[in-house]
Amino acid sequence: MSPHKLEEIRPQVKALEAMPAVPAIVLPLTAMLQLPSDQVDVDKVVELVSYDGTIAAHCLRMANSPLFGRGNTETVRSAVLALGLKRIEAILLGCCLNRIVPPDKWALDAVTFWRHSLGCALVSRKMAKLIGYPDPEKAYLAGLLHDLGILVNTLACTEDFRRCIQAAREGHVALHRSEEEHLGFTHCQSGKILAEHWHFPADVTEVIEFHHDVVAPRGGPLVPLVRLSDLLCRVRDLGYGYYEAMGVDFAGDSAWATLVEHYPALANMDLARLTMDVDGAMGEIVAVVDAVFKP
Amino acid sequence: MGVVKAARESEDLRDPAYLKIRDVIYQVSGIYQPEEKLYLLASRCARRMSAVSAKSPAEYLERLTARGNREEELRLLLNEITIGETYMFRSQPQIEALRNVILPQILKAKSAMGFKRLHLWSAGCSTGEEPYTLAMFLLEESEKMLAGWTFDILATDLNDRSLTAAKAGIYGEYALRSTSPLLRKKYFRPYDDKQLQATDQLKSMIRFDRVNLNDDSKMTFLKGMDLIFCCNVLIYFDLGSKRKVMQHFHSNLLPGGYLFLGHAESLYQVDDRFHLVHFPGAIGYWKPPVGYTSGGKP
Repeated sequence: MSPHKLEEIRPQVKALEAMPAVPAIVLPLTAMLQLPSDQVDVDKVVELVSYDGTIAAHCLRMANSPLFGRGNTETVRSAVLALGLKRIEAILLGCCLNRIVPPDKWALDAVTFWRHSLGCALVSRKMAKLIGYPDPEKAYLAGLLHDLGILVNTLACTEDFRRCIQAAREGHVALHRSEEEHLGFTHCQSGKILAEHWHFPADVTEVIEFHHDVVAPRGGPLVPLVRLSDLLCRVRDLGYGYYEAMGVDFAGDSAWATLVEHYPALANMDLARLTMDVDGAMGEIVAVVDAVFKP
Repeated sequence: MGVVKAARESEDLRDPAYLKIRDVIYQVSGIYQPEEKLYLLASRCARRMSAVSAKSPAEYLERLTARGNREEELRLLLNEITIGETYMFRSQPQIEALRNVILPQILKAKSAMGFKRLHLWSAGCSTGEEPYTLAMFLLEESEKMLAGWTFDILATDLNDRSLTAAKAGIYGEYALRSTSPLLRKKYFRPYDDKQLQATDQLKSMIRFDRVNLNDDSKMTFLKGMDLIFCCNVLIYFDLGSKRKVMQHFHSNLLPGGYLFLGHAESLYQVDDRFHLVHFPGAIGYWKPPVGYTSGGKP
Protein backbone atom coordinates (compact mmCIF):
# COMPACT_ATOMS: atom_id res chain seq x y z
CA MET A 1 0.00 0.00 0.00
CA SER A 2 1.40 3.38 -0.89
CA PRO A 3 0.99 5.91 1.88
CA HIS A 4 -1.66 8.50 1.24
CA LYS A 5 -0.39 11.99 1.10
CA LEU A 6 -2.40 14.55 2.95
CA GLU A 7 -2.80 16.61 -0.21
CA GLU A 8 -4.45 13.68 -1.94
CA ILE A 9 -7.30 13.57 0.56
CA ARG A 10 -7.83 17.35 0.68
CA PRO A 11 -10.35 17.38 -2.20
CA GLN A 12 -12.18 14.45 -0.60
CA VAL A 13 -12.47 16.34 2.68
CA LYS A 14 -13.87 19.35 0.88
CA ALA A 15 -16.35 17.07 -0.89
CA LEU A 16 -17.77 16.14 2.53
CA GLU A 17 -19.56 19.45 2.41
CA ALA A 18 -21.76 18.16 -0.34
CA MET A 19 -23.11 15.41 1.90
CA PRO A 20 -26.85 15.88 2.37
CA ALA A 21 -28.14 17.57 5.51
CA VAL A 22 -24.83 17.86 7.29
CA PRO A 23 -23.52 21.36 6.70
CA ALA A 24 -27.05 22.74 6.84
CA ILE A 25 -27.03 22.02 10.57
CA VAL A 26 -23.31 22.13 11.37
CA LEU A 27 -22.61 25.56 9.96
CA PRO A 28 -25.34 27.52 11.76
CA LEU A 29 -24.54 25.56 14.89
CA THR A 30 -20.87 26.48 14.93
CA ALA A 31 -21.89 30.06 14.19
CA MET A 32 -24.24 29.92 17.18
CA LEU A 33 -21.47 28.54 19.38
CA GLN A 34 -19.50 31.69 18.84
CA LEU A 35 -22.33 33.94 20.05
CA PRO A 36 -22.33 35.16 23.64
CA SER A 37 -24.69 32.88 25.57
CA ASP A 38 -27.19 35.68 26.30
CA GLN A 39 -27.78 36.09 22.59
CA VAL A 40 -28.69 32.46 21.98
CA ASP A 41 -32.41 31.91 21.54
CA VAL A 42 -33.50 29.10 23.89
CA ASP A 43 -36.77 28.55 22.02
CA LYS A 44 -34.85 28.10 18.80
CA VAL A 45 -32.66 25.46 20.41
CA VAL A 46 -35.68 23.64 21.87
CA GLU A 47 -37.26 23.72 18.42
CA LEU A 48 -34.12 22.33 16.79
CA VAL A 49 -33.83 19.58 19.35
CA SER A 50 -37.51 18.65 19.12
CA TYR A 51 -37.26 18.53 15.34
CA ASP A 52 -35.02 15.48 15.49
CA GLY A 53 -36.20 12.44 17.43
CA THR A 54 -32.74 10.90 17.88
CA ILE A 55 -31.19 14.10 19.14
CA ALA A 56 -34.12 14.74 21.48
CA ALA A 57 -33.75 11.22 22.87
CA HIS A 58 -30.03 11.74 23.47
CA CYS A 59 -30.67 14.99 25.29
CA LEU A 60 -33.34 13.42 27.51
CA ARG A 61 -31.14 10.45 28.38
CA MET A 62 -28.22 12.65 29.19
CA ALA A 63 -30.29 15.11 31.24
CA ASN A 64 -31.66 12.17 33.25
CA SER A 65 -28.25 10.70 33.98
CA PRO A 66 -26.81 11.00 37.49
CA LEU A 67 -23.88 13.01 36.13
CA PHE A 68 -26.13 16.01 35.71
CA GLY A 69 -27.95 15.39 38.95
CA ARG A 70 -31.43 15.28 37.43
CA GLY A 71 -33.81 12.39 37.64
CA ASN A 72 -37.17 13.46 36.24
CA THR A 73 -36.55 15.35 33.04
CA GLU A 74 -39.49 14.52 30.80
CA THR A 75 -39.76 17.31 28.26
CA VAL A 76 -37.28 18.47 25.68
CA ARG A 77 -37.51 21.96 27.10
CA SER A 78 -36.58 20.87 30.62
CA ALA A 79 -33.80 18.69 29.20
CA VAL A 80 -32.40 21.72 27.37
CA LEU A 81 -32.56 23.80 30.53
CA ALA A 82 -31.02 21.02 32.65
CA LEU A 83 -28.12 20.46 30.29
CA GLY A 84 -27.44 24.07 29.44
CA LEU A 85 -27.28 25.62 25.99
CA LYS A 86 -23.65 25.00 25.20
CA ARG A 87 -23.90 21.33 26.04
CA ILE A 88 -27.02 20.98 23.88
CA GLU A 89 -25.14 22.50 21.00
CA ALA A 90 -22.33 20.04 21.56
CA ILE A 91 -24.77 17.12 21.55
CA LEU A 92 -26.37 18.41 18.34
CA LEU A 93 -22.99 18.74 16.76
CA GLY A 94 -21.97 15.26 17.86
CA CYS A 95 -25.14 13.73 16.48
CA CYS A 96 -24.78 15.56 13.19
CA LEU A 97 -21.21 14.45 12.78
CA ASN A 98 -22.24 10.92 13.62
CA ARG A 99 -24.52 10.93 10.60
CA ILE A 100 -21.87 11.83 8.09
CA VAL A 101 -20.43 8.33 8.35
CA PRO A 102 -22.56 5.68 6.65
CA PRO A 103 -22.90 2.58 8.88
CA ASP A 104 -20.85 0.36 6.56
CA LYS A 105 -17.90 2.75 6.46
CA TRP A 106 -16.94 2.77 10.13
CA ALA A 107 -13.35 1.65 10.66
CA LEU A 108 -13.29 2.10 14.41
CA ASP A 109 -16.79 1.11 15.46
CA ALA A 110 -19.18 4.00 16.00
CA VAL A 111 -19.95 3.28 19.66
CA THR A 112 -16.23 3.09 20.54
CA PHE A 113 -15.52 6.33 18.73
CA TRP A 114 -18.33 8.25 20.39
CA ARG A 115 -17.63 6.74 23.79
CA HIS A 116 -14.10 8.10 23.50
CA SER A 117 -15.21 11.49 22.14
CA LEU A 118 -17.99 12.06 24.66
CA GLY A 119 -15.80 10.62 27.41
CA CYS A 120 -13.05 13.05 26.52
CA ALA A 121 -15.60 15.88 26.44
CA LEU A 122 -16.83 15.06 29.94
CA VAL A 123 -13.33 14.58 31.36
CA SER A 124 -12.17 17.85 29.75
CA ARG A 125 -15.06 19.65 31.40
CA LYS A 126 -14.37 18.01 34.76
CA MET A 127 -10.67 18.83 34.52
CA ALA A 128 -11.43 22.43 33.40
CA LYS A 129 -13.50 22.92 36.55
CA LEU A 130 -10.87 21.32 38.76
CA ILE A 131 -8.05 23.51 37.51
CA GLY A 132 -10.09 26.70 37.18
CA TYR A 133 -10.19 27.01 33.38
CA PRO A 134 -12.80 29.74 32.82
CA ASP A 135 -14.92 28.09 30.10
CA PRO A 136 -15.64 24.43 30.99
CA GLU A 137 -18.24 24.13 28.23
CA LYS A 138 -15.69 25.19 25.64
CA ALA A 139 -13.45 22.47 27.04
CA TYR A 140 -16.36 20.05 26.66
CA LEU A 141 -16.83 20.99 23.00
CA ALA A 142 -13.11 20.76 22.23
CA GLY A 143 -12.97 17.35 23.91
CA LEU A 144 -15.95 16.17 21.90
CA LEU A 145 -14.42 17.26 18.60
CA HIS A 146 -10.71 16.60 19.17
CA ASP A 147 -10.73 13.44 17.05
CA LEU A 148 -12.70 14.91 14.14
CA GLY A 149 -9.90 13.70 11.88
CA ILE A 150 -10.82 10.08 12.63
CA LEU A 151 -14.14 10.72 10.86
CA VAL A 152 -12.25 12.29 7.97
CA ASN A 153 -9.92 9.31 7.67
CA THR A 154 -12.85 6.93 7.95
CA LEU A 155 -14.56 8.61 5.00
CA ALA A 156 -11.60 9.60 2.87
CA CYS A 157 -9.51 6.43 3.03
CA THR A 158 -11.71 3.77 4.62
CA GLU A 159 -9.77 0.62 3.74
CA ASP A 160 -6.30 2.00 4.48
CA PHE A 161 -7.58 3.42 7.74
CA ARG A 162 -9.06 0.05 8.69
CA ARG A 163 -5.67 -1.58 8.15
CA CYS A 164 -4.09 1.18 10.15
CA ILE A 165 -6.42 0.53 13.11
CA GLN A 166 -5.82 -3.20 12.83
CA ALA A 167 -2.05 -2.63 13.00
CA ALA A 168 -2.46 -0.35 16.04
CA ARG A 169 -4.62 -2.96 17.76
CA GLU A 170 -2.16 -5.77 17.10
CA GLY A 171 0.90 -3.75 18.10
CA HIS A 172 -0.78 -2.13 21.16
CA VAL A 173 0.41 1.24 19.80
CA ALA A 174 -1.22 4.66 19.71
CA LEU A 175 -3.47 5.25 16.71
CA HIS A 176 -1.65 8.39 15.54
CA ARG A 177 1.64 6.46 15.49
CA SER A 178 0.07 3.80 13.30
CA GLU A 179 -1.39 6.52 11.05
CA GLU A 180 2.03 8.11 10.61
CA GLU A 181 3.42 4.75 9.60
CA HIS A 182 0.61 3.46 7.40
CA LEU A 183 -1.06 6.59 6.01
CA GLY A 184 1.75 9.11 6.07
CA PHE A 185 -0.37 11.62 8.00
CA THR A 186 -2.45 11.64 11.19
CA HIS A 187 -6.05 12.41 12.12
CA CYS A 188 -4.73 15.67 13.58
CA GLN A 189 -3.74 16.91 10.15
CA SER A 190 -6.82 15.65 8.31
CA GLY A 191 -9.10 16.89 11.11
CA LYS A 192 -7.63 20.36 10.81
CA ILE A 193 -8.55 20.54 7.12
CA LEU A 194 -12.21 19.80 7.86
CA ALA A 195 -12.28 22.05 10.95
CA GLU A 196 -10.99 25.00 8.93
CA HIS A 197 -13.30 24.21 6.06
CA TRP A 198 -16.26 24.25 8.45
CA HIS A 199 -15.02 27.42 10.15
CA PHE A 200 -14.74 25.88 13.61
CA PRO A 201 -13.57 28.29 16.35
CA ALA A 202 -9.80 28.80 16.18
CA ASP A 203 -9.07 27.34 19.62
CA VAL A 204 -11.07 24.18 18.90
CA THR A 205 -9.21 23.79 15.59
CA GLU A 206 -5.92 24.09 17.50
CA VAL A 207 -7.01 21.25 19.77
CA ILE A 208 -7.85 19.10 16.74
CA GLU A 209 -4.46 19.82 15.18
CA PHE A 210 -2.11 19.71 18.18
CA HIS A 211 -3.57 17.29 20.76
CA HIS A 212 -0.90 14.67 20.04
CA ASP A 213 2.05 17.07 20.04
CA VAL A 214 4.49 16.09 22.74
CA VAL A 215 7.00 18.89 22.44
CA ALA A 216 6.25 22.57 22.81
CA PRO A 217 2.45 22.45 22.43
CA ARG A 218 1.13 25.48 20.59
CA GLY A 219 -2.00 27.50 21.31
CA GLY A 220 -3.77 28.34 24.56
CA PRO A 221 -4.46 26.17 27.62
CA LEU A 222 -7.23 24.31 25.80
CA VAL A 223 -4.75 22.17 23.84
CA PRO A 224 -2.88 20.73 26.86
CA LEU A 225 -6.15 20.39 28.79
CA VAL A 226 -7.76 18.23 26.11
CA ARG A 227 -4.50 16.39 25.46
CA LEU A 228 -4.34 15.27 29.11
CA SER A 229 -8.05 14.38 29.16
CA ASP A 230 -7.59 12.31 26.01
CA LEU A 231 -4.66 10.46 27.63
CA LEU A 232 -6.64 9.85 30.82
CA CYS A 233 -9.56 8.46 28.83
CA ARG A 234 -7.26 6.12 26.95
CA VAL A 235 -5.85 4.63 30.16
CA ARG A 236 -9.29 4.45 31.79
CA ASP A 237 -11.59 2.32 29.68
CA LEU A 238 -12.65 5.15 27.37
CA GLY A 239 -10.04 4.68 24.66
CA TYR A 240 -10.21 3.20 21.21
CA GLY A 241 -11.31 -0.23 22.38
CA TYR A 242 -7.91 -1.90 22.43
CA TYR A 243 -4.98 -2.13 24.86
CA GLU A 244 -2.48 0.67 24.34
CA ALA A 245 0.84 -0.17 25.95
CA MET A 246 1.51 3.19 27.54
CA GLY A 247 2.14 4.99 30.76
CA VAL A 248 0.88 8.54 31.19
CA ASP A 249 3.16 10.66 33.30
CA PHE A 250 1.38 13.98 33.86
CA ALA A 251 4.29 15.64 35.65
CA GLY A 252 6.61 14.52 32.86
CA ASP A 253 4.26 15.54 30.04
CA SER A 254 4.96 18.86 28.37
CA ALA A 255 1.19 19.51 28.29
CA TRP A 256 1.20 19.66 32.08
CA ALA A 257 4.15 22.06 32.05
CA THR A 258 2.23 24.27 29.59
CA LEU A 259 -0.89 24.22 31.77
CA VAL A 260 1.21 25.21 34.77
CA GLU A 261 2.52 28.17 32.75
CA HIS A 262 -1.07 29.30 32.23
CA TYR A 263 -2.18 28.49 35.80
CA PRO A 264 0.88 28.79 38.11
CA ALA A 265 -1.16 27.60 41.11
CA LEU A 266 -1.25 24.17 39.48
CA ALA A 267 2.41 23.66 40.30
CA ASN A 268 1.37 22.92 43.89
CA MET A 269 -1.62 20.84 42.97
CA ASP A 270 -2.09 17.35 44.36
CA LEU A 271 -1.79 15.52 41.06
CA ALA A 272 -2.76 12.15 42.46
CA ARG A 273 -5.90 13.64 43.94
CA LEU A 274 -6.77 15.41 40.68
CA THR A 275 -6.42 12.20 38.73
CA MET A 276 -8.29 10.20 41.36
CA ASP A 277 -11.10 12.78 41.20
CA VAL A 278 -11.21 12.33 37.45
CA ASP A 279 -10.98 8.57 37.95
CA GLY A 280 -13.84 8.77 40.43
CA ALA A 281 -16.04 10.46 37.83
CA MET A 282 -15.01 7.94 35.20
CA GLY A 283 -17.53 5.28 36.24
CA GLU A 284 -20.40 7.70 35.83
CA ILE A 285 -18.95 9.06 32.62
CA VAL A 286 -18.87 5.53 31.20
CA ALA A 287 -22.49 5.13 32.32
CA VAL A 288 -23.58 8.36 30.60
CA VAL A 289 -21.73 7.52 27.42
CA ASP A 290 -23.26 4.07 27.35
CA ALA A 291 -26.70 5.54 28.03
CA VAL A 292 -26.29 7.81 25.02
CA PHE A 293 -24.68 5.44 22.57
CA LYS A 294 -25.83 1.96 23.40
CA PRO A 295 -29.33 1.09 22.24
CA MET B 1 -32.30 -0.07 67.01
CA GLY B 2 -29.27 2.19 67.32
CA VAL B 3 -27.28 0.02 64.94
CA VAL B 4 -30.04 -0.05 62.34
CA LYS B 5 -30.47 3.69 62.61
CA ALA B 6 -26.76 4.33 62.22
CA ALA B 7 -26.60 2.07 59.18
CA ARG B 8 -29.58 3.79 57.62
CA GLU B 9 -28.21 7.22 58.26
CA SER B 10 -24.85 6.18 56.93
CA GLU B 11 -26.47 5.81 53.55
CA ASP B 12 -27.34 9.47 53.57
CA LEU B 13 -24.40 10.62 51.51
CA ARG B 14 -25.51 14.21 51.52
CA ASP B 15 -24.28 14.43 55.08
CA PRO B 16 -21.27 16.78 54.91
CA ALA B 17 -19.65 14.81 57.75
CA TYR B 18 -18.64 12.18 55.20
CA LEU B 19 -16.59 14.70 53.25
CA LYS B 20 -14.89 15.67 56.51
CA ILE B 21 -14.25 12.02 57.39
CA ARG B 22 -12.84 11.54 53.88
CA ASP B 23 -10.50 14.51 54.40
CA VAL B 24 -9.34 13.26 57.81
CA ILE B 25 -8.52 9.86 56.32
CA TYR B 26 -6.72 11.48 53.40
CA GLN B 27 -4.68 13.74 55.64
CA VAL B 28 -3.65 10.97 57.97
CA SER B 29 -3.26 8.00 55.64
CA GLY B 30 -3.07 9.32 52.08
CA ILE B 31 -6.07 7.18 51.10
CA TYR B 32 -8.43 9.23 48.97
CA GLN B 33 -12.06 8.62 48.04
CA PRO B 34 -13.42 10.87 45.26
CA GLU B 35 -16.92 12.21 45.87
CA GLU B 36 -18.43 9.70 43.49
CA LYS B 37 -17.06 6.88 45.66
CA LEU B 38 -18.24 8.26 49.01
CA TYR B 39 -20.81 5.50 49.20
CA LEU B 40 -17.95 3.02 49.66
CA LEU B 41 -16.56 5.07 52.51
CA ALA B 42 -20.03 5.35 54.02
CA SER B 43 -20.53 1.60 54.03
CA ARG B 44 -17.15 1.07 55.73
CA CYS B 45 -17.95 3.77 58.26
CA ALA B 46 -21.32 2.15 58.93
CA ARG B 47 -19.63 -0.92 60.40
CA ARG B 48 -17.44 1.14 62.71
CA MET B 49 -20.39 3.37 63.60
CA SER B 50 -22.36 0.31 64.69
CA ALA B 51 -19.40 -0.96 66.68
CA VAL B 52 -19.03 2.26 68.63
CA SER B 53 -22.78 3.04 68.64
CA ALA B 54 -22.35 6.36 66.88
CA LYS B 55 -25.78 7.61 65.86
CA SER B 56 -24.72 9.84 62.98
CA PRO B 57 -21.71 10.43 60.73
CA ALA B 58 -21.15 13.69 62.61
CA GLU B 59 -21.00 11.84 65.92
CA TYR B 60 -18.59 9.34 64.44
CA LEU B 61 -16.44 12.14 63.02
CA GLU B 62 -16.24 13.58 66.51
CA ARG B 63 -15.03 10.24 67.84
CA LEU B 64 -12.55 9.98 64.99
CA THR B 65 -11.00 13.33 65.79
CA ALA B 66 -11.29 13.47 69.57
CA ARG B 67 -8.13 12.99 71.55
CA GLY B 68 -7.77 9.72 73.37
CA ASN B 69 -9.38 7.30 70.95
CA ARG B 70 -8.35 9.03 67.73
CA GLU B 71 -5.45 6.78 66.78
CA GLU B 72 -7.12 3.53 67.71
CA GLU B 73 -10.35 4.38 65.91
CA LEU B 74 -8.50 5.51 62.79
CA ARG B 75 -6.58 2.27 62.71
CA LEU B 76 -9.80 0.27 63.00
CA LEU B 77 -11.48 2.34 60.27
CA LEU B 78 -8.46 1.90 57.96
CA ASN B 79 -8.68 -1.84 58.58
CA GLU B 80 -12.29 -1.71 57.40
CA ILE B 81 -11.37 0.37 54.34
CA THR B 82 -8.59 -1.94 53.18
CA ILE B 83 -10.27 -5.21 54.13
CA GLY B 84 -10.60 -7.80 51.39
CA GLU B 85 -7.84 -6.28 49.31
CA THR B 86 -5.54 -9.26 49.59
CA TYR B 87 -6.06 -12.02 47.11
CA MET B 88 -3.87 -13.23 44.29
CA PHE B 89 -4.02 -11.42 40.94
CA ARG B 90 -6.17 -8.78 42.60
CA SER B 91 -5.11 -6.21 40.02
CA GLN B 92 -5.02 -7.64 36.53
CA PRO B 93 -4.39 -4.17 35.01
CA GLN B 94 -1.27 -3.91 37.17
CA ILE B 95 -0.02 -7.25 35.83
CA GLU B 96 -0.80 -6.09 32.27
CA ALA B 97 1.11 -2.85 32.86
CA LEU B 98 4.09 -4.89 34.11
CA ARG B 99 3.92 -7.16 31.10
CA ASN B 100 3.28 -4.59 28.38
CA VAL B 101 4.94 -1.38 29.53
CA ILE B 102 7.08 -1.56 32.64
CA LEU B 103 9.11 -4.74 32.21
CA PRO B 104 9.93 -4.08 28.54
CA GLN B 105 11.16 -0.62 29.62
CA ILE B 106 13.27 -1.96 32.51
CA LEU B 107 14.62 -4.97 30.57
CA LYS B 108 15.72 -2.70 27.74
CA ALA B 109 17.53 -0.30 30.05
CA LYS B 110 19.17 -3.08 32.09
CA SER B 111 20.29 -5.19 29.16
CA ALA B 112 21.88 -2.08 27.62
CA MET B 113 24.10 -2.06 30.70
CA GLY B 114 24.71 -5.79 30.53
CA PHE B 115 22.49 -6.75 33.48
CA LYS B 116 20.24 -9.80 33.32
CA ARG B 117 18.75 -9.95 36.81
CA LEU B 118 15.59 -8.40 38.25
CA HIS B 119 14.98 -7.54 41.90
CA LEU B 120 11.45 -7.19 43.24
CA TRP B 121 10.35 -6.37 46.75
CA SER B 122 6.97 -6.84 48.30
CA ALA B 123 7.22 -4.54 51.33
CA GLY B 124 4.46 -5.39 53.78
CA CYS B 125 3.62 -8.69 52.12
CA SER B 126 1.11 -9.71 54.82
CA THR B 127 0.11 -13.35 54.27
CA GLY B 128 1.97 -13.65 50.96
CA GLU B 129 -0.66 -13.22 48.24
CA GLU B 130 1.28 -10.45 46.52
CA PRO B 131 4.73 -12.09 46.31
CA TYR B 132 3.21 -15.39 45.14
CA THR B 133 1.31 -13.49 42.43
CA LEU B 134 4.53 -11.84 41.29
CA ALA B 135 6.38 -15.16 41.37
CA MET B 136 3.72 -16.85 39.20
CA PHE B 137 3.72 -13.94 36.77
CA LEU B 138 7.51 -13.93 36.43
CA LEU B 139 7.71 -17.72 36.10
CA GLU B 140 5.09 -17.59 33.35
CA GLU B 141 7.20 -14.98 31.55
CA SER B 142 10.48 -16.82 32.07
CA GLU B 143 10.16 -18.64 28.75
CA LYS B 144 9.01 -15.49 26.94
CA MET B 145 10.02 -11.96 27.80
CA LEU B 146 12.32 -13.06 30.61
CA ALA B 147 14.18 -15.75 28.66
CA GLY B 148 17.80 -15.55 29.76
CA TRP B 149 16.95 -13.47 32.83
CA THR B 150 16.95 -14.37 36.50
CA PHE B 151 14.94 -12.72 39.21
CA ASP B 152 14.45 -12.66 42.94
CA ILE B 153 11.55 -11.57 45.06
CA LEU B 154 12.03 -10.28 48.56
CA ALA B 155 8.88 -10.39 50.69
CA THR B 156 8.94 -8.65 54.05
CA ASP B 157 6.53 -7.92 56.85
CA LEU B 158 6.69 -6.78 60.43
CA ASN B 159 4.16 -9.29 61.67
CA ASP B 160 5.60 -12.74 62.52
CA ARG B 161 2.23 -14.46 62.29
CA SER B 162 1.66 -13.10 58.78
CA LEU B 163 5.15 -14.15 57.74
CA THR B 164 4.65 -17.70 59.05
CA ALA B 165 1.42 -17.95 57.08
CA ALA B 166 3.11 -16.51 53.99
CA LYS B 167 5.95 -19.03 54.19
CA ALA B 168 3.48 -21.91 54.56
CA GLY B 169 1.71 -20.74 51.41
CA ILE B 170 -1.65 -22.37 52.18
CA TYR B 171 -4.65 -20.64 50.64
CA GLY B 172 -8.39 -21.06 50.38
CA GLU B 173 -10.88 -20.14 47.71
CA TYR B 174 -10.98 -16.41 48.57
CA ALA B 175 -7.24 -15.90 48.07
CA LEU B 176 -7.28 -17.92 44.86
CA ARG B 177 -10.50 -16.60 43.35
CA SER B 178 -8.73 -14.74 40.54
CA THR B 179 -6.09 -17.40 39.93
CA SER B 180 -6.77 -19.39 36.76
CA PRO B 181 -7.24 -23.20 36.95
CA LEU B 182 -4.08 -23.55 34.86
CA LEU B 183 -1.93 -21.60 37.33
CA ARG B 184 -3.51 -23.37 40.31
CA LYS B 185 -2.60 -26.70 38.78
CA LYS B 186 0.91 -25.64 37.90
CA TYR B 187 1.95 -23.87 41.11
CA PHE B 188 -0.21 -25.39 43.87
CA ARG B 189 -0.96 -28.83 45.25
CA PRO B 190 -3.94 -29.93 47.36
CA TYR B 191 -3.46 -29.31 51.08
CA ASP B 192 -6.83 -30.36 52.46
CA ASP B 193 -10.31 -30.50 50.99
CA LYS B 194 -10.67 -26.74 51.01
CA GLN B 195 -7.17 -25.38 50.60
CA LEU B 196 -4.19 -25.49 48.27
CA GLN B 197 -0.50 -25.10 49.10
CA ALA B 198 2.17 -23.39 47.00
CA THR B 199 4.63 -25.82 45.41
CA ASP B 200 8.26 -25.81 46.51
CA GLN B 201 9.23 -24.39 43.13
CA LEU B 202 6.96 -21.37 43.68
CA LYS B 203 8.11 -20.91 47.26
CA SER B 204 11.76 -21.05 46.23
CA MET B 205 11.31 -17.89 44.15
CA ILE B 206 10.63 -15.83 47.25
CA ARG B 207 12.82 -14.89 50.18
CA PHE B 208 10.74 -14.03 53.26
CA ASP B 209 12.18 -11.79 55.92
CA ARG B 210 10.97 -9.76 58.87
CA VAL B 211 11.63 -6.08 58.20
CA ASN B 212 10.34 -3.07 60.05
CA LEU B 213 10.07 -0.29 57.46
CA ASN B 214 10.98 2.14 60.23
CA ASP B 215 14.24 0.36 60.91
CA ASP B 216 16.88 2.51 59.20
CA SER B 217 19.69 0.03 59.71
CA LYS B 218 17.89 -2.67 57.70
CA MET B 219 16.32 -0.36 55.13
CA THR B 220 19.67 1.13 54.17
CA PHE B 221 20.96 -2.21 52.89
CA LEU B 222 18.06 -3.16 50.63
CA LYS B 223 19.51 -1.66 47.46
CA GLY B 224 19.16 -2.24 43.75
CA MET B 225 15.39 -2.85 43.51
CA ASP B 226 13.64 -2.62 40.14
CA LEU B 227 10.12 -2.78 41.55
CA ILE B 228 8.76 -2.18 45.03
CA PHE B 229 5.19 -3.05 46.01
CA CYS B 230 3.93 -1.49 49.22
CA CYS B 231 0.19 -1.80 49.32
CA ASN B 232 -1.84 -0.26 52.17
CA VAL B 233 1.09 -0.24 54.60
CA LEU B 234 2.10 3.42 54.74
CA ILE B 235 -1.47 4.43 55.49
CA TYR B 236 -0.87 3.45 59.10
CA PHE B 237 2.28 5.62 59.40
CA ASP B 238 2.42 9.23 60.54
CA LEU B 239 3.70 11.82 58.08
CA GLY B 240 7.25 11.87 59.45
CA SER B 241 7.62 8.07 59.25
CA LYS B 242 6.04 8.03 55.80
CA ARG B 243 8.56 10.55 54.53
CA LYS B 244 11.40 8.55 56.01
CA VAL B 245 10.18 5.30 54.44
CA MET B 246 9.76 7.02 51.08
CA GLN B 247 13.27 8.39 51.39
CA HIS B 248 14.45 4.81 51.80
CA PHE B 249 12.29 3.46 48.98
CA HIS B 250 13.71 6.14 46.72
CA SER B 251 17.26 5.05 47.40
CA ASN B 252 16.33 1.33 47.45
CA LEU B 253 14.99 1.67 43.89
CA LEU B 254 17.22 1.78 40.85
CA PRO B 255 16.73 4.82 38.58
CA GLY B 256 13.86 4.01 36.21
CA GLY B 257 12.28 1.69 38.80
CA TYR B 258 8.66 1.75 39.93
CA LEU B 259 6.87 1.81 43.25
CA PHE B 260 3.30 0.56 43.57
CA LEU B 261 0.99 1.57 46.41
CA GLY B 262 -2.59 0.56 47.23
CA HIS B 263 -5.07 1.72 44.61
CA ALA B 264 -6.37 4.75 46.48
CA GLU B 265 -3.11 5.79 48.17
CA SER B 266 -1.34 9.00 47.27
CA LEU B 267 2.12 10.43 47.98
CA TYR B 268 1.03 14.07 48.09
CA GLN B 269 3.21 16.04 50.50
CA VAL B 270 5.04 12.83 51.33
CA ASP B 271 7.49 12.69 48.46
CA ASP B 272 7.60 14.66 45.22
CA ARG B 273 10.54 12.95 43.57
CA PHE B 274 8.43 10.15 42.14
CA HIS B 275 6.33 10.69 39.02
CA LEU B 276 2.75 9.44 39.16
CA VAL B 277 2.24 7.34 36.03
CA HIS B 278 -1.14 6.11 34.77
CA PHE B 279 -1.27 2.80 33.00
CA PRO B 280 -4.45 1.34 31.58
CA GLY B 281 -6.40 0.67 34.77
CA ALA B 282 -3.45 1.05 37.16
CA ILE B 283 -1.22 3.66 38.78
CA GLY B 284 2.49 3.48 39.57
CA TYR B 285 5.18 5.80 40.90
CA TRP B 286 8.26 6.12 38.73
CA LYS B 287 11.76 7.09 39.85
CA PRO B 288 13.14 9.10 36.92
CA PRO B 289 16.75 8.42 35.95
CA VAL B 290 19.33 11.05 36.84
CA GLY B 291 19.28 13.90 34.35
CA TYR B 292 15.71 13.18 33.23
CA THR B 293 13.93 16.28 31.97
CA SER B 294 10.18 16.38 31.59
CA GLY B 295 8.43 16.32 28.23
CA GLY B 296 9.17 14.37 25.11
CA LYS B 297 7.92 11.04 26.41
CA PRO B 298 5.61 9.31 23.92
